[in-house]
Amino acid sequence: MTAWLMRSFLLCLLNAALALVLSPLCEGIMRKLRAAIHSRIGPPITQPYWDLFKLLGKEDLRSAGGVVYASLPAFTLGSVLLLAALIPMGTAAPLAFAGDMIVVLYVAAMSGILVMLVGFASASPYASIGSSREMMMLLSVEPILAIALVVGAFKARTLALGGIVNWQVQNGPSISMAIGGVAFFLALQALAGKLPFDIAEADQEIMGGPLVEQSGPRLALFRWAMWTKQLVLAFLLVEVFFPWPRLGIHQLDLLMTSVKVLVVLVLVAVIDVVNPRLRIDQAMGYFLRVAFSSLAALAFAVIGK
Amino acid sequence: MVDAVRYVEASIVVLIVGSLVSLLFARRRKLCGWVSFAFVCASSVYTGLAVVGGCKGASGEHTILQLPQLGSRLTLRVDPLSAIFLAIVALIALLSTLYSVRYMEHYAHDKVAKFFPVLLLCVASMTGVLVCTDFLFFLIFWESMTLTSYFLVTFESENAASQRAGLKYFIITHGATLCMVAAALLLWRTSGSFHFDAIRQTLSALLNTRPFLAHSIIFLFFLGFATKAGILPMGDWLPDAHPVAPSGMSATLSGALVKLGIYGLVRLFCSFLVVSPSLRMWGIILALAGTGSLFVGNLTALRQTDTKRLMAFSTIGQIGYICLGLGVGAYCLPMYPALASIALAGAILHAVNHACFKSCLFLGAGSVLYRTGQRDMDKLGGLAGFMPYTTGTTTIASLSIAGVPPFNGFASKWLIIAGCVLAGMRFPLFLVLGLIALFISLATLASFLTVLGSVFLGKADPDIRTREVPISMIVPQVVLAALCVLLGIFPQLMLRFVGHAVADVTGITAAGVDASRIWGGLFLIDGSPVAFWSPLAMLAALAILALLSYAIQRAGGAQVRSVPVWYCGEEHAPATVRYPASSFYLPFKHAFQGIYPSGKVHVPRFPAPLRRALDFDQWLYVPAVRAMDAAADRVSRTHVGIPQIYLLWIVVGAIVVTGILLWVKG
Amino acid sequence: MCVALKRGARPAAAVIAAIVTGLAVWLTWSTYGASYTKMGGALPWLHGIVDRPVLGIFIDPLASLMLLVVVPIGLLTVLYSTSYLTEKNREHPVGSEHYGRYYFWLLLFISSMVGVAIAPNFLQFFVFWELTTLCSWALISFHQNERSLRAGFKAILMTHVGSAFFLLAILILFVRTNSFDFSALGTLPDGLRSWVLLFLMLAAWAKAAQVPLQTWLPDAMEAPTPISAYLHAAAMVKAGVYLMARTVSSGWAIPPGMSLLMAGMALLTIFVALSFYFVQDDLKRLLAYSTIAHLGYVLLGVAVGGLGSTLGFQGGVLHIICHGYSKATLFFCAGTIAYVTGTRTISELRGLGRSMPLTATAFFIGLLSVTGVPPLACFWSKFMILSGAMRLSGPIGPLILVFILCETLISFGWMLYIGQKIFLGAPLAVVQVPSDPPRAMNATLILLMIGCVAAPLVGMPLVQLMGK
Repeated sequence: MTAWLMRSFLLCLLNAALALVLSPLCEGIMRKLRAAIHSRIGPPITQPYWDLFKLLGKEDLRSAGGVVYASLPAFTLGSVLLLAALIPMGTAAPLAFAGDMIVVLYVAAMSGILVMLVGFASASPYASIGSSREMMMLLSVEPILAIALVVGAFKARTLALGGIVNWQVQNGPSISMAIGGVAFFLALQALAGKLPFDIAEADQEIMGGPLVEQSGPRLALFRWAMWTKQLVLAFLLVEVFFPWPRLGIHQLDLLMTSVKVLVVLVLVAVIDVVNPRLRIDQAMGYFLRVAFSSLAALAFAVIGK
Repeated sequence: MVDAVRYVEASIVVLIVGSLVSLLFARRRKLCGWVSFAFVCASSVYTGLAVVGGCKGASGEHTILQLPQLGSRLTLRVDPLSAIFLAIVALIALLSTLYSVRYMEHYAHDKVAKFFPVLLLCVASMTGVLVCTDFLFFLIFWESMTLTSYFLVTFESENAASQRAGLKYFIITHGATLCMVAAALLLWRTSGSFHFDAIRQTLSALLNTRPFLAHSIIFLFFLGFATKAGILPMGDWLPDAHPVAPSGMSATLSGALVKLGIYGLVRLFCSFLVVSPSLRMWGIILALAGTGSLFVGNLTALRQTDTKRLMAFSTIGQIGYICLGLGVGAYCLPMYPALASIALAGAILHAVNHACFKSCLFLGAGSVLYRTGQRDMDKLGGLAGFMPYTTGTTTIASLSIAGVPPFNGFASKWLIIAGCVLAGMRFPLFLVLGLIALFISLATLASFLTVLGSVFLGKADPDIRTREVPISMIVPQVVLAALCVLLGIFPQLMLRFVGHAVADVTGITAAGVDASRIWGGLFLIDGSPVAFWSPLAMLAALAILALLSYAIQRAGGAQVRSVPVWYCGEEHAPATVRYPASSFYLPFKHAFQGIYPSGKVHVPRFPAPLRRALDFDQWLYVPAVRAMDAAADRVSRTHVGIPQIYLLWIVVGAIVVTGILLWVKG
Repeated sequence: MCVALKRGARPAAAVIAAIVTGLAVWLTWSTYGASYTKMGGALPWLHGIVDRPVLGIFIDPLASLMLLVVVPIGLLTVLYSTSYLTEKNREHPVGSEHYGRYYFWLLLFISSMVGVAIAPNFLQFFVFWELTTLCSWALISFHQNERSLRAGFKAILMTHVGSAFFLLAILILFVRTNSFDFSALGTLPDGLRSWVLLFLMLAAWAKAAQVPLQTWLPDAMEAPTPISAYLHAAAMVKAGVYLMARTVSSGWAIPPGMSLLMAGMALLTIFVALSFYFVQDDLKRLLAYSTIAHLGYVLLGVAVGGLGSTLGFQGGVLHIICHGYSKATLFFCAGTIAYVTGTRTISELRGLGRSMPLTATAFFIGLLSVTGVPPLACFWSKFMILSGAMRLSGPIGPLILVFILCETLISFGWMLYIGQKIFLGAPLAVVQVPSDPPRAMNATLILLMIGCVAAPLVGMPLVQLMGK
C-alpha cells in the first residue's frame, strides 16, 4: 500500500516536473514560429526560460496584503501541475485513481479561478475588468470542453480518462470523437490565452488584465502556469481524441504523442499570429456556436457513429 | 429503538417550552437571545441523540394522539432519511440562534419578542415535519412551519418590502399546502388513512387501477413540495422572502426550511411511489424542473447586486441541482438501481452540503449587513481588511457552492453530474442536463466571485471604519466553513449515512457509491468502477505541488515590497475607480436578460355588473320595501275620515259579498 | 336567568354571566358521554291542545357544544363591554346612563340563546328564536342614531321573513303530527316533509344571513362592537345554523335533493360573500362578510351530513365552535382598534402592531384561524367538512373540495393582506395611539386567543359523540 502510494506520488511529481520543464520550451518554439511568420528573427527558443529566471529574481511588488493573496500564485501553478498529474501524457495518468473526467474539468477551471481571485484582490480596475473577462471566457469555453469529454465518456461507458483513451485506441476513429476533437481544439485556443481570444489579458487594452499588479516571482509563476496549462491541455486533446496510431512500443508512442502535441501547439501559434483580437461579445457568440455545433458530436455518439 | 422518537419528542417539547420562556425575557434583548440559545442547545442535543439512533435504522413508531373518525394518528418515527434532515435542522437552528443573539441588535425598532419565540416554534415544527408519519399531522406541522416563518420574514415591520415578500411567501406556500390537502384527501377517499404506509399502498394500487387520478395526486404533491423547495416557477417567493428576513432566519430558511421540500420530494418519489414504470416519467419531469431551476436560478443570481438576493437566487439554483439528482435517481430506480443510488446519494448529500455553505453565506452577508448596514454590492468594497474571519468563511463557502474541489460542494455536484452522465448513457437527455449542470456550476462561481470581488476584495475607502463582528457571530460562520472543508475532504463520512438512508427509503440494495474507505477515495460502480474521486489524495498532491511552486517562487530570494495600486500614474480614491458589481460580466448578463420575467400582480377587479347583480339590497329588497310602502300608502288613502264614504264602502262590500254567495250557490 | 339591571350594574352583569358560564360548563361536563337528558314541563294554558311537555331542557352533545359557544363568549362579551362601553371609547362614547338598557338586553340575549340551545322541540326553539331577534334588534339600534335604527329595523324585518316560514313549518308539523318534536318531522309524508324542510331552511337562511337573505348582516355592523362580536360568533346567526344542525341530526333521512340544495346554496353564499371582501373598507363589514361565508361552511357541513356523511356533519358542528371563537377574536380586535383610534376604516389604519402588540397578535391568530391555517381552530373543522365531503360517492366530494380550497386560498390571501395593512408597516400619523387598551379588553383577547387554539380540543370529543 505504502509503496504503491509512494510510487504514484513520485510518478505524479515526475509528470509535473516534465510538464514544468517542457512548457517554456514549447512557448519558445511558438514564439520563434510567430517571429518567422512576422519575418523576424525572434528570440532564441530558450528565451522563456531566461524570462522566468529573470522574473524570479526581481523585486516582488504587492498592491495587497494577506496570506491568501501571497499564496495564490503558488496554488495557481500547483493546480495546473495537479492537472498534469491527472491527465494521461503518453502513459497512464499517475493520479487517475483519484479523479475522473469531471474532476479534470473542475481542476482545469481552478487555475482560472485563482487568477481571477488575484485580479479582484489586487484592487486595480484593469485587473477587475480582466478577471471579469476571464470569467466570461471560462463560461463560454468550459462547456465545449465538457461536451467533448462527455462524448468520449459516452462512447467508452466510463468517466475515467484512461478508459476513454483505451476505448479510442481499441475502436479507432469515429465521427463523433472527431467533431469533439475539433471543438476541443477550438476551445484550446482560448484556454491557452492566445489570439484571437487573449481578451482577458489584452496587453494593449488592459495591460495584462488580472495580472496587471503582478510582478517578479509572482508574475513568473502565473506565466509558467499559463504555459504549462496549454501544454497539458494539448496533451489531453491528443491523448483523448487522436491517440492513434499506437504501436505498442512505449518510447515510440511517447515520441509520437509529443510530436502530435507540438503540431497542435504550432497550429495554435499560427492561428494566434494571423488573427486580430475579438471583442468579448464576439468571442462569446463564436463559442456559443461552437458549443451548439459540438452537440452534434453528442448526437452522433448517441446514434453510434 | 423507541428511544430515538422519545428524544425527538423531548426536543420538540424543549423548544416549545423555550419559546414560552424566552417570551418572558423578551424585554431584554440579549438575555432573551441567550435563553433561547440555551433551549435550542438542549433541543439540539436531544435531536442529536435521535439522529444517532435514527441513522442506524428506522425507529419504532410512537403514537401520541388518535383521531379515529378521520382515520388519523399522530405517529412519530425516526428513520435514516429523516435523521439526516433532522441533523441539518438541528445544526442550522443551533448556529443561527447563536448568531442571532447579537445580530438582532441590528433591529433597534423591532422587539425580539417576535423573533426568538417564533424562531423556536419554527424549529419545533420543522422537527415535527421530519418525524411525522401521518399525513394530516405532517400537514399541520408543515403549515405551522410556514406560519412561524412568515412572521419571521415579516419581522421588520416598517419595511414595506418585507411585508410584500411575506405576503407573497405565505400566499404561494399556503396555496401549495392546499394542493397537498387536496391530494391527501383524494388518497384518503380510497384508503381511509393518512398514514405514510397506507399512502404508499394506495398510490401504487391507484397507479394500476386509475392512473389519471394517481398522477393528478402525485402532481398535487409535487406542487406542494416543490413550492416549498423553491423550484421554479413555484419558488418565486424565495428571492423576495430571503433577503428581507433577518439573516439568522435567512440562513434557517435557506439551510433548513427549504430542505424540507426536498425531504418531501424524496419521500414522495422514492418511498410513496413504489418502483413502477411511471416513476420514469416523473423522474424526467423532476430532472427537467431541476435543470430549469438551476439554469434560471443561477443565471439570475449572476445579475443581482444585492448580496442576500443573489444568495436567494442561488438557493433556487442549488435546489435545482438537488432536484436534478432526485429526478435522475427516480428515473433509474426501476431499472438501474446502482445508478439511482448514485444520483439520490448525490442529491441528498447536496442538500446537506447546501445547508452548510448557504447558511454560512447568509450569515456572512448578515455580518456585512450588521457592520455596514449595506446589502448593495455596488456600495461595498475591501472589507477583507476589516473582517478577516467573515471574509475567510465567505470565501470558503463561495468556493464550496461553486463546486471547487476539494470543498464539499464539489463532492455532491460530482455525484449528481456523474449520475447524470451515467444515466445519460441509457437515456441521452440526461447527458444534456448534466452538461447544463456543469456549465451552471461555473455561473455559480461567477456570481460568488462577484460577491468576493466586490464586497471583500479590493481596496476600501480610507474613511470606512468598521471591524469584525462579535465572537458569537463569528463562531457559527467558522463552524459552517469548517464543515464545508471537512465534508469536502471526507465526503465518505456523510455518504455512509446518506447511502443508508437511500437504501432504507427506496429499498434498493445495489450500491452505486463505494464510500467504504475513509482514506481512499470514492468509487462509483456501474458494473465496474467508472468514476473516481479521492479528495485526500488530490489535496495531498495539490499541497505538495503548491509547496513546490512556492519553493520556485522563493528560489530567487526576491524582496517583497508593498506598493500602491498603479492607476496609470494618476491618483484615485479606491471608490472612484472601483469596478462595481453591476458591471461584472455585463456582456454575458446581457445575453441572458429576459430569463427571469417578473410582473406585478394586480388585485383582481371585480366586474361591475356582477357586483350590482349580487347586491340584493339594491335591486330586490329596497324596491320591494318601497313598493310595500307605496301600497300601504295607497291603502291608507282610502281612509279619508268621512263616515258617509265608509258607509258607502260597507254597502258596496255587502253587495259584492252577496253577489259572490249567490254565484257560488248558483 | 336574566335580571333587569339598573344603572351602574356592570359588575353584576359580569358576575351573572360568569355564574351562567360555570353552570354551562358544569352541565356539559356532567352530561359528557352520558345518555341524553330530557326534561320538560307542560304549559298549563295549552292543556287540551298540546298534551306534551313544550318547555324543557335537552342536553345532548350538540346542545352542549352550542352552550359552550353561547355562554363563554357571552361572558367574554360582557367582560369586554365593561371597559369598551365607556366615556373613553373614541368611536362611540357611551355614558353610564345607558348601561342598564345595554346589559339588560345583552343578558336577555345570552339567556335566549341558551334557551335556543337547550330547546327540546321546535316550539321552544321558535319562542327563543324570536326572542333573539328582538334582542338583536334592540342591540343593533343601541346607539339610536338614524343608521343604527335603520339597520336594526332591517335586521328584524329580514329575519322575520325567515321566522314566518319557520312558523309555517311548525304549524304544518303540528297540524299533521300533533307534536313539536324534532323527530316528528320523520313521520311526515315525503312530499310534505320536503316542504317543511324547505321552510325551515329558509328560516335558517334568513337567520344565518345566507344568500339571498344575507344583506342585513353587514348593515347590522352599526351595533356596538361587542354586540357584533356576539351576534356573529355565538348568537343570532348561529341560531340559524343550529336549527339546521338540529333538524338534520334528529334521526331521519333528509331527502338528498334538499341536502344538495342546501350544499349548493352554501357554496353560493361562500362565493358571494367572498366577492364582497374586495370592496370593503370598513373592517367590521369585511368581518361580517367573512361570517356569512363561514356560516355557509357550517351549512355545507350539515348538508354533507344530510347526504349521509357523519364526518361532514361533525365538521360542520365543530365549525360552529371553532368559528365562534376565532371570529369573536377578530371582532374584539376590531373593537379594540376602534376604541383606541376611533376609526375602523381600513385605509386609515396602518402600523398598529407597534403600539398594540397584543391586539396585533390576537388579530393575526384570529385571522389565520378563521381562514383555516393549521394548526389553528378552523382548519380542523374545515378539514373535517372536506373529508366528510370526500366520503360521499360520486363527483360531489372532489367538486366541493376544489371550490372550498379555492375560496380558502383567496380569502386567506385577502385577509392576510388586510391584516398586514392594518398592523404592519410604518405607523400612519393620523392614527395616534395614546395608550394600551384597558386590561379587561386585553384579558378577553388573551382568553380568546387560547380559545382559537383550544376550541377543537374541546369540540372534538363532543362531536365524536354525535351521530352514534
